[in-house]
Amino acid sequence: MLTGDSQKFYGLLFGIAFSTLLNTQQLTIFVNLIERGASGVYNAPEAEIWVMDPVSRTTEVNYAMPSTALDEVRSVEGVEWAVPHLRAPASVRSSTGDLEGVQIVGVDDATLIGLPERLLATNKSILSQPDTVLIDDVGIINLFESGEDPIGQRLELNDQRAIIRGVADAIPSFTSQVTLYTKYSQALNYVPGTRNRLTFVLAGVADGETAEAVAQRIEEQTGLKAETREEFAQAGVDFIIQNTGIPTNFGITVVLGFVVGVAIVGLTFSLFIRDNIKQFGALKAIGVTNLKIMRMVAAQAGLVGAIGYAFGIVGTVAFLWGFSGNPFFKGFYIPWQIPLISLGAVIIILAITGWLALRSVLSTEPAAVFR
Amino acid sequence: MALLPSNVSFSRQILPVLALIGIACAVLYIAVGLPDRSTAEPTTEPPKATGELANSARVAGAGIVEPASEVIDIGSALSGLVTDVRVAPGDRVEKGQPLFLVDARSARAQLSEANAAINEARAAIAEAQTARKTAADQLALYASLSDPAAVSRSEVIRVEGEAQAAKSRLAVARARLNAAQARASSVRTEIERLVIRAPISGEILAVNVRPGEFVATQGGGNAQPFMQMGETNPLHIRVDIDENEAARVKVGAPAIVSPRGDADTRVEAAFVRVEPQVVPKRSLTNSAAERVDVRVLQIIYALPQNEASDAFRVGQQIDAFIPAKEKGE
Repeated sequence: MLTGDSQKFYGLLFGIAFSTLLNTQQLTIFVNLIERGASGVYNAPEAEIWVMDPVSRTTEVNYAMPSTALDEVRSVEGVEWAVPHLRAPASVRSSTGDLEGVQIVGVDDATLIGLPERLLATNKSILSQPDTVLIDDVGIINLFESGEDPIGQRLELNDQRAIIRGVADAIPSFTSQVTLYTKYSQALNYVPGTRNRLTFVLAGVADGETAEAVAQRIEEQTGLKAETREEFAQAGVDFIIQNTGIPTNFGITVVLGFVVGVAIVGLTFSLFIRDNIKQFGALKAIGVTNLKIMRMVAAQAGLVGAIGYAFGIVGTVAFLWGFSGNPFFKGFYIPWQIPLISLGAVIIILAITGWLALRSVLSTEPAAVFR
Repeated sequence: MALLPSNVSFSRQILPVLALIGIACAVLYIAVGLPDRSTAEPTTEPPKATGELANSARVAGAGIVEPASEVIDIGSALSGLVTDVRVAPGDRVEKGQPLFLVDARSARAQLSEANAAINEARAAIAEAQTARKTAADQLALYASLSDPAAVSRSEVIRVEGEAQAAKSRLAVARARLNAAQARASSVRTEIERLVIRAPISGEILAVNVRPGEFVATQGGGNAQPFMQMGETNPLHIRVDIDENEAARVKVGAPAIVSPRGDADTRVEAAFVRVEPQVVPKRSLTNSAAERVDVRVLQIIYALPQNEASDAFRVGQQIDAFIPAKEKGE
C-alpha cells in the first residue's frame, strides 16, 4: 500500500535516512572529538596506571612531582614496574624561523614505555641517537606547512638542538598540537627548567592484581593520585566536556536531526494515512480489527524505517570512509553504540508519528468509506 | 520502472536488498574500525621487583655504583709540571706505588747545594780541628819548658787565644754542618713529595693529567681531579631512599639491584651500612640543573663478587628494591 505511492514512500525514506545520517554522523564526530581528550592516554599503550600529583587533571593539565615519586610508586605492592613520563609544553623554532607551541613527551630512557605503539618508517631504537625526537604525523602538517619532508629536519628547543628522525603514528590531541616524543633525559633539556619535572609515573600491574586495587594502594601509600587507564581516559574526556561548548553544540544538532525526522516522517505519514482513510474504512467495514490495522501499518512503517535507517548508516560510513585520509578525522571510528542509539531514535520517530496518524483511523467509522 | 522486469519492484525488492547489503557493509566497517584500546606489554623489560619481593612490602630507590673506598680524588702536595705518568685507567695499584711525578729539577739543585754546604762545613770542621790541634800542641810545648823565660808571656797568650778561636770555629763549622744536613733532608722530603703515590691499593678510575701539564696544589673547586682511584673489589652501591619512605626500610636486608637499561640483570647486594646523615638528594635523574627538593637517606650495599657484577661500573645508575618492614613490625 505504502510502496505503491512512490512520492510518499521516498519522502518517508528520505526523512528517516536523513534523520539517521544526521544523528549518527554528528554523534560519531562528537564522541571522537571528545575522545581526543584521552588521546594522550591511548598513545601510551603499556601504561595500566597513571600516577600524578593530586592536582593534575589530564595528560595536558598536569603539575610536576619530585623525582623521588618514581621510587615511591615502585615501592608499592602490586606495582610490577614503574617508569617516569614527562609531558610539558615547549616552544619550538623551526628551520624557517617560525615559532610553534609543541607538547614534549619524554619516555623512559631504558624501556621507551610511553611511546605510541606504531612508528612510521622507523623503529624505536632510533631514539638512542643523540638529540633525536619523533614527531606525530598530524604535527607534521602544522609544523611543515610547505610540505617538506620532516625526517632530518633540525629544530631548536630551549636553545638545544633536536633532530626529527621518525614519525609516530599517534592519535592527535584535542587541539591537534604538535607532539614531539623523546627520551626522558633528553626531554629534561628541552623543557625550560622548573624545580620539579616528573609529571607522570606510568605503572604496570603485577599478575593477579587489578588495576583499581593497585591504584587505590598507590594513593594510600604515596599520597599521589593514581588512576587506571580507563579512569584517566575518562578524565580527559570529562575535562573537554566541562571546559568547551562542544556537547551543547552537538546536542543541538542531534535534537535538530530528531525534530527534522519527526517533522518529515510525521507529515508524510499523516498524509499517507489521510489519503487512505477510505481504504482503512473499507477494511474496517469488512471486519478487520483495529489491532490488525495497527500491525499492518507497523509492518509498512518498519519496512520503510529499516531501509531508511540502513541508508542513513551507510551514509555515515561512507562519510567517515571518504574523510579517513583527512588528518582532522584521523583515528575516527563509529562506536557500535551510536548506530543502536539512532535505531532507537528511528523507532521512536516512527512510533510517535504512526500513533499520531493512526489515531484518526482507529476512531473511524466503517461508514466513512461511503462519505 | 520500465527498466526492470514487470514482476520485480524496485521499492519492494531491490531497495530492501540494497539496504541489507548496505547495513552488512556498515556493520563490517564499524566492527573493523573499532579502535584497539587494549594495553600492550612493554617490549623492553622495565626494572621490577622479583622473587619474594614482587608480592611483599618493599621500598624502591635509585642509586649509583661506587668503589668500596668511595672515589678518591688524588691531589698533589706541590705544584709543578708533570714529568711522568706511571699508571693508566683500569690499572690495579698497590698502596705506595708512584702514580705520577712532578718536575723535581729545582729541588734536586737545592739538594746539590745542600750537599755542597755539607762538604764545605765538613772541610771547615777539619780546618778548625787542625788549627785547634796545632794550638794545643804549641801550648803543650810551652808548658813542657822548664825555663819560664824561654817563651815570652805574650806568645803564650797569643797561642792560648788561637786555641780558643779554633775551638769556636769548630763549633761554628759543626753547626753549619747540622744546618746543611737539615736542609738536605728537607729537600729530600720535598723531592719525595713530588712523587705522588697511591694512598690505598685499588683501581685507577680516571687519569686526567698528562706529562707536561701543570698541576696546582689548589685542587678541588671546579677543577677536575688529577687522578681518581678507589677499591673496586668489591663495588658498593649507594641507594637514595626518599625520606618519606626511609622509615619503612628493613635495615640489614639484602637489596635486589639492576643496572639502568639492563633490567634483566638482577643481583642481590649485601647490606653494608646506613649513612648516619640524611642529605639533600643529589639528582640521579639527569636533571639539567641540579635542584634540591627532597632529602634522602643513603644506604650502602656491597655487590657480590661474581660475573653478574661485571655489568656494573663505577658511576653507573642502578635501580634497587629493598624489603620493607612488615606492618606492625
